Amino acid sequence: MRTIALGLAAVLTLSGAAPARSPVDDHASALAALADVRAAVAEIVRIEDGYAVGHGAYLRAAHRAMNALVGRRDDGYAKSFGDPGDGVGTLGHLDLMLDKAGTSLWTPAVQGAKANVLAAAEDLQSALAQKEMEEYQADLTRALASLALVVGRPSQSGVLGGLSGALANTSLGVPLGALSASGCAAPVRAPAYGVVAGRLAYVALPRSAASAGIPDDLSVARVVVQGDMVVLYTHAARDAAALCRSASRLQRTRSVVASPSQISYTVAQARAGAAVYRRYCLQCHGADLQGTAGPSVAGADFVATAQRNSWSLSDLRTTVFENMPFSNPGSLTPKQYAGVMAFLLASNCYPSGAKPFPPTASPSFAKVKLAAVPRAKPANAKLGTCPVK
Amino acid sequence: MSRIALGLIVLTGLVAAVLVGGSPQVGAQGAWPTSDSYVNADKDAASWLLPARNYSGNRYLSETEITPANVGTLKKAWSANVDARGPLETSPIVWNGTMYVTSSHNDVYALDAKTGAVKWHFPYKPHVIAFSANRGVALSDGKVYEGTLDGHLIALDATSGKPVWNVVAAHDLTNTFYTMQPVVYKNMVLLGASNGDWGGIGYISAFDAATGKRLWDWNTIPGPGEAGHDSWSGDSWKRGGGAIWSGIAIDPATNTLYADTGNPQPDFLGTIRKGANLYTNAMVALDIGGSKPALKWYRQFIPHDTHDWDPAMPPVLFTGTVNGAPRNLVAAGDKGGNFWVLDAGTGALVYRLAVSTQKGQNTEPNRKGNIACPNTNGGVEFNGGSYMPETNAFYVPSVDQCGIWKSQGTATYVAGQFYLGGSFPALYGPSTGYVNAVDIGTGKFMWRKHLAFPQIGGALSMSPGLVFTGGVNGDFTAYDAKTGNVLWHYATGMTIQAPPGSYVIDGKRYVVVAAGPAGVNFADPRLNKGAPTLEGSYKHPTSATITAFTLP
Repeated sequence: MRTIALGLAAVLTLSGAAPARSPVDDHASALAALADVRAAVAEIVRIEDGYAVGHGAYLRAAHRAMNALVGRRDDGYAKSFGDPGDGVGTLGHLDLMLDKAGTSLWTPAVQGAKANVLAAAEDLQSALAQKEMEEYQADLTRALASLALVVGRPSQSGVLGGLSGALANTSLGVPLGALSASGCAAPVRAPAYGVVAGRLAYVALPRSAASAGIPDDLSVARVVVQGDMVVLYTHAARDAAALCRSASRLQRTRSVVASPSQISYTVAQARAGAAVYRRYCLQCHGADLQGTAGPSVAGADFVATAQRNSWSLSDLRTTVFENMPFSNPGSLTPKQYAGVMAFLLASNCYPSGAKPFPPTASPSFAKVKLAAVPRAKPANAKLGTCPVK
Repeated sequence: MSRIALGLIVLTGLVAAVLVGGSPQVGAQGAWPTSDSYVNADKDAASWLLPARNYSGNRYLSETEITPANVGTLKKAWSANVDARGPLETSPIVWNGTMYVTSSHNDVYALDAKTGAVKWHFPYKPHVIAFSANRGVALSDGKVYEGTLDGHLIALDATSGKPVWNVVAAHDLTNTFYTMQPVVYKNMVLLGASNGDWGGIGYISAFDAATGKRLWDWNTIPGPGEAGHDSWSGDSWKRGGGAIWSGIAIDPATNTLYADTGNPQPDFLGTIRKGANLYTNAMVALDIGGSKPALKWYRQFIPHDTHDWDPAMPPVLFTGTVNGAPRNLVAAGDKGGNFWVLDAGTGALVYRLAVSTQKGQNTEPNRKGNIACPNTNGGVEFNGGSYMPETNAFYVPSVDQCGIWKSQGTATYVAGQFYLGGSFPALYGPSTGYVNAVDIGTGKFMWRKHLAFPQIGGALSMSPGLVFTGGVNGDFTAYDAKTGNVLWHYATGMTIQAPPGSYVIDGKRYVVVAAGPAGVNFADPRLNKGAPTLEGSYKHPTSATITAFTLP
């Protein structure tokens, strides 16, 4: 017992500033990721603005910026140079945010930020290998350009908004434990965050707090003083209001059917996945999914095998995303792979849901065992498949 | 019990010998090849009795009819369609005017070797674990033997195609299947297990040819207390791999079986299986004269492989001239792009030659990914080549590809799934192939031909100076054995990943090859777009065909 407890403690210490948190605090992760980026930028700016002489100072700056970006668990981390960040690194924080079931409205922004961090890290790596000052500076300039995109701007959401945009305009801006209300109605108390389908519509502050100044990372499109509250409407408020109107129309006409399991994909996604399947998978797995050069991937034979071998959704996902197409694995985009997963789930008669199958992995997939879908009525009774139309 | 069983086997053997000895060997119904026929298979011009024609595994033929001068007039004699749900890798067995072939999903066909007409067809619907492929049947004593994709060994009546017996031969049906063409030796059917990338342990088994009863297994991974076990860290040997995928060679004079073993597992993660990982990626020479096989020697080609670079090519025994003196040799080829020549008696290395681009081979795949060549489907593939005494050259096709390799920090075994500790490499750069002629006297190239597509069809050489082989784009080609010049070609319109064979019927020599859809490894997107061949455009096939050629 004692040894085990010690081991666990060691693991927690090793993972540094990202201890096991429950629930996962994406807001804090985003802020920490931003702080690490800013630390890296400061490191680069300091050496660029300074008058350091000698190779060592420049190498040190690039190493330190790199450390803040990639974190101590990455191979590129060089401990001896010190770390102006928190040790987890921007990448570590972003991975924590992306490594989960489902996608949020802010997922594309975080994915974009991650791509830009990787680009910046590559430029820093290149800078480390340079012998000429001019080349070194060119690499650092490129890294700064990428990092500016990681930080982004609060006035925009999506990939262009970067982390600031996501914090200012999506539910990512809501701190863990803060009061989150429906953004379709006006706020009734403060502090509160108004959210509509992942969009942050407003932040309501008590007048006393607002008088001390408006938080830096907010994007305020409109300010309304309402009794004791100051309501800061974001750039996403307009979009949110439109959604509120269409949702109320929908609610009057039909009720929303929830997906019965943790497996979710959309019909549109399955259709898109069918096209990807035809192009990249059909050659080996067949038009009827019963396998030609490869094994069956849907229907009675597939489900029986999956059950016999106790396959989880994670097992299926790993094979699809990492080892297919067999002649060139990993060559499709995450979106294409997610579409193929949606197509396979649909073909195996899993009901569609409101959420698309996510392009990133989720630990919860390991808990979902593949099995025959109860009460499913395969359109192709002989094969046990549900063709995607 | 065992003494009684042994007595019965001997008795059955005697009866069979008497029966066969008392009837004419060719022409009459019920006349089948004997043990002697197999040992002397090279002298039987009419037949093709073993996967590579002889126990030596040398796909070579001494003959006079088809020559470099007349090969240009070779014409299609017939073609026969078979089940097209996967690639054809079958090496046809020809005996007494009948040809036995298989489809990827284990259908067996007996064809009239002169016309291609189907005499009988045995359909089979196996559950496919990993991919569909079958490399052909063995024929003995009126039975046709096939190892199946669902781990069975089946014996069919060679005259009717009706099952005689059907045994579960593989030990773990969740991860083990058969693709290898069985080989009959004395009273045994020898069959290696395919489970290389799915978390099994490799073994080769002998089954009683009469009953299907298991006689022995030889495991490629030594267990606790066995020599070589300490080449595995911890419990890693338990899912260590070392499948026996490909063909085998046998020296009947010494009862020595030569087999090549597959890569270790998890394929791309070496850190959890520290050590050389014996006997993976190796050639083993086993004494199979006794009741259990005994290891005579082994030669590990790539110790502690982390790239799935196993020696896919079946071993080829031959007597070559090295430094002016004859020497008994055995050849091997691996997916790492190496062609190996060893001393057949001791396993000592005679030489190694790179037949594909090699790069980044000493870097283990990591999380970030690194480029190494060949790709996992590169190098020398599963049909290998042949030695021609007339030129003292070895002819072997190869695949030229590079890949981007990645591993994970961990590997988890899931029944029926890949056990890789990473992922198969993504193709990096072009995908091409070579036909190589290696001068055995010097260990250097005599010639090599660079082709636009991977070459995996295996080479047949014929004494007048011809080399036949086929490519992924469907070109079936005859090369001048001395120069590499193309003397004849035929566009099958399908992918060739089966080896050529040859036989004589009514005094005429035929060359035969199987072609069909591309297998999972070679589903090249170019093939769907109409890939170029020597005669026009490749069309994605809807059929799988056995085609025989003869002079007009």
